[in-house]
Amino acid sequence: MSTTLAILWKDLVTEWRSRDRVIAMLLFSLLVVVIFHFALPVGTRSGIQENAAGLLWVAYVFAANIGLNRSFALELENDALSLLALAPGERGWIFLGKALANLILIGLVEAAAGFAFAVAFDIDLLKVALPLAGVVLLGTFGLCCAGTLFSAMSVRTRLREVLLPILLLPALFPVLAGAVAATRDLIVAGEASFEAIQLLLVIDGVYLVVSFLGFEYILDE
Amino acid sequence: MSETALRARGVEKRFGAMRALRGVDLTVERGTIHAVLGPNGAGKTTLLRILAGLSHATAGSVEIDIDGENHEPSKARGAIGYVGHATLIHPELTARENLLFAAKLYRVDDAEARAQQLLEDEALGEVADVRAGSFSRGMSQRLSIARARIHDPILVLLDEPFTGLDRAAASRLAEHLERLRDEGRALVLITHDVEIAARLATTVSLLDRGEISEVVSGSAITVDRLDAGMLGDRPQPGAVA
Repeated sequence: MSTTLAILWKDLVTEWRSRDRVIAMLLFSLLVVVIFHFALPVGTRSGIQENAAGLLWVAYVFAANIGLNRSFALELENDALSLLALAPGERGWIFLGKALANLILIGLVEAAAGFAFAVAFDIDLLKVALPLAGVVLLGTFGLCCAGTLFSAMSVRTRLREVLLPILLLPALFPVLAGAVAATRDLIVAGEASFEAIQLLLVIDGVYLVVSFLGFEYILDE
Repeated sequence: MSETALRARGVEKRFGAMRALRGVDLTVERGTIHAVLGPNGAGKTTLLRILAGLSHATAGSVEIDIDGENHEPSKARGAIGYVGHATLIHPELTARENLLFAAKLYRVDDAEARAQQLLEDEALGEVADVRAGSFSRGMSQRLSIARARIHDPILVLLDEPFTGLDRAAASRLAEHLERLRDEGRALVLITHDVEIAARLATTVSLLDRGEISEVVSGSAITVDRLDAGMLGDRPQPGAVA
């Protein structure tokens, strides 16, 4: 566990000093929101609540892809990735530290993007802020588990920027199914369905275990 | 002291059709410095990364002895200190933070004191709280060496550690390596510098095109002997085949 905390601390300090990941993700997610705002026909905005959840998660997933790509790419400088690979103990704890750092950074961006989305489409997310935060947390956790694993897998490849979304997006189908359904329920009906939450919990558990165990073999050349 | 710390047998490494290593045998005793000397492209770094457990051999075995038990490198990572071609340091962290981060990864007790001791040892005390990204190559290399020593490893693997060091820093590093040797640690020193190998090594393995062509030990290690071994039977520049 100390390895996890060390990685988490290192990634957050590094990001605090460089701010490159959060700013890139934030700008990208805001741009997506603005594009949706102008792309949707004027007449459809009244019925936006039905589709808002899907649009919001599209912005989240594409922004997260940028941050996840950088998660291990920053370890390539000075071959710091080898330092992680050389560390004793189970490498799953390294994965967990990376995934938690990604969760925090992506979560910050999601909060800001969600606020911008609510303003741009005049949707009152405040009344469901707490349960919505829970749903976003569950969805983002699954996203970060799969994304951190695939980020590590693709980091040493020449086409990592292309490879990560190709690997990640199909793996996110079940996460998005649960997250979009739960978010739509919250926006439209004020409460999330149990089935959607259950799906998210199961997928999060599966991705956590698979990624934790699979990470042991990912850092080897 | 003569106790085997590392034993490699028949190590081969292929990258596609290219054979980077061709059945390398290597035995390193505690309290010795084993230099692997060879020209660029001989396979030195590939060999060191396999010894460190960073890369898998296509064939052959590597065993590291910890308290009388043999382990493959991936199970003995806590016993290995590695100074690579790159520094393995994080530029956004300060020198002290880099050492503390490594100390946490290796679960070092009293990490603050150990980090401070190593910073002073490597003459980095005055820049301990400066970001490593602003360091010169020499300072980065010294920090890398301190980082590799943070957990007091029994086996230290060094890939061209003298690169980028000025005369004073190189002399200090040579003294460090001799001290580590005298403390009973086993050191593998990858170099293409004949004089460094002749000065420090207890045993020298000459690596050429992925094969150990010659092993020289003890008083037989001289600059002339190693120079001759390095040139070997390879064609001289300008020679007509």
